[in-house]
Amino acid sequence: MELILAIFIGILYAGGVYLVLRRSIVKVILGIFVLANATNLIIFLAGGIKRSGEAFIAEGKETVDLATISDPLPQALILTAIVISLGIAAYILALKYRYFEVTETHDLDQLSKTDQK
Amino acid sequence: MSILPLLIIVPFTFIILALFIHHVRIKNALSLILGLTNFALAFYILKIVHNAGMLKTQMGSWPAPYGITLVADRFSAFMIFISAIVFLAVTLYSIQSIDKERLKNNYFLFTYGILMGVNGSFIAGDIFNLYVWFEVMLMSSFILISFGGEKAQLEGSIKYLILNLISSFFFVAGIGILYGKMGSLNLADLALKFSRIGDFPSLFEPSLILLLVGFAIKGALFPFFFWLPASYHTPPPAVSALFAGLLTKVGIYSLIRIYTLFLHHYDYFWNPIILWMGILSMVIGVITATSQFDFRKILSFHIISQVGYVIIGLAFYTISGLAAAIFFLGHNMLSKTNAFLVAGWVHRERNTLSLKDLGDMFNKHTLWGILFFISAFSLAGLPPLSGFAGKYLIIKAGIESNQIIVAMVALFVGLFTLFSMTKIWIEVFWKNTKNEKNDSEQRIKSNGLPYRYMITASIILALSIIVMGVWAKPIAEFCETAATDLLNNQKYINFVLG
Repeated sequence: MELILAIFIGILYAGGVYLVLRRSIVKVILGIFVLANATNLIIFLAGGIKRSGEAFIAEGKETVDLATISDPLPQALILTAIVISLGIAAYILALKYRYFEVTETHDLDQLSKTDQK
Repeated sequence: MSILPLLIIVPFTFIILALFIHHVRIKNALSLILGLTNFALAFYILKIVHNAGMLKTQMGSWPAPYGITLVADRFSAFMIFISAIVFLAVTLYSIQSIDKERLKNNYFLFTYGILMGVNGSFIAGDIFNLYVWFEVMLMSSFILISFGGEKAQLEGSIKYLILNLISSFFFVAGIGILYGKMGSLNLADLALKFSRIGDFPSLFEPSLILLLVGFAIKGALFPFFFWLPASYHTPPPAVSALFAGLLTKVGIYSLIRIYTLFLHHYDYFWNPIILWMGILSMVIGVITATSQFDFRKILSFHIISQVGYVIIGLAFYTISGLAAAIFFLGHNMLSKTNAFLVAGWVHRERNTLSLKDLGDMFNKHTLWGILFFISAFSLAGLPPLSGFAGKYLIIKAGIESNQIIVAMVALFVGLFTLFSMTKIWIEVFWKNTKNEKNDSEQRIKSNGLPYRYMITASIILALSIIVMGVWAKPIAEFCETAATDLLNNQKYINFVLG
């Protein structure tokens, strides 16, 4: 399972980087989303994946059996990261929309007016 | 009840308050109140930390490695204090410099967000918490940089946004892998675990490299600085001043924090890398700055160059080197912000920042000329201003740790800085402009608008620069104690976990 997920993350990263390097701004933004998800999966993978139960303390017990649960913290981290990337996604799409209204272009090469010469 | 959470709660309360207020004047007053409150708070924390050494709060009373820890040592307190000065000055400046339309649309709300993020990053004792504060800061800065939606601004913000998001991915992937390996997110606990491992099996520990790259992009270090000069000159000047003063410095702060806590175990690998990143940032930043002909672009490139100084101070990894780095960081936040504030005034007066079209400012606006002189020549490192003390400390630390060549490079970079500051000075303030007619029109316009708040803000910063230069010794001694604490990280670990 780890191997499959690792390869999958690798493919996501490759696709994300490919999209980020495209000329169209929309594709760059899609690439950002793909990269964000690949990063979330990395946290998930690094936290250790195994077939196991929830991290709840069973009724009448003081502690939880570590062998039967999976670490809940990476999941909490991913949840935070997903929320943050959702906010950013909404913002970046709005920005793109506004940019298109002002300049009527999708082309990243048109963004050269603020560059250094 | 500890005082540390107030650094976050106070700006947050003001964010909520700002949502309910629609009157521009009350909004302005509110932001000044926040600036002053935050300054008082920062001063109080600095005073406590100066005596006690460190302060901590365990959020929700969970013990250290499990809960979220807020911790302020001398370094954090110093940074919080300096950023409070910068925030106060920029707020005061914005009241007059930002146009009504932006003020009405809650411009200040997002500066509160930046303050909250910056304060939070400085006191975060937990690496994921640090990431969250980075995001708070970044989200506010994304909005501020595109606020108003002018064409150049939108272009700049797309570049700023994409590159900063990529740096966040590096950062958060690094955190994930680090957690998978070490099983902890608390900085002190991580440091303890790293010190127990001893020699790491792999020198190229991927999570640390990811973290370093993330911070290097945020801090605009050598191969990762391209977003900065492409975007910092596009938003309104007050926003650039705020960004120049606070944002990159938080990246550098985090780098120093991570480096002194656990990266230093592999210093034979990291020190040369950091040193070279510092040297190249310094040299490339200053050389590209000399080729620019726009006031704010020159200053933007100088941010990169000045960050290089801080980083070489870190790379020496001695007490004097780190002390110099901390001092320089503080000096740079003040001087850079003030230089941007003057640039903003010039822009307002002449409606351009191209050096070729400017000139003759000193005759008509002597006070602004003096204010620019103070910040520019403090950046260049002339005594008795703060830059002199900062550069002196860096170069002295370099010589002490037998890095003579690096010290020489730092001296030469100082010379180039002086050159480009002189260039701005001559082109903007001394050069005689030919078309008189245009000038008289401008003068009538400017008489109608006295720049009370703007000039007060700039004077506050200029005075802080002078104070930091003239009373450099006590401040440098404070930085030295801070550096000793940083190097002796056992103290930090014991304090947080104990």
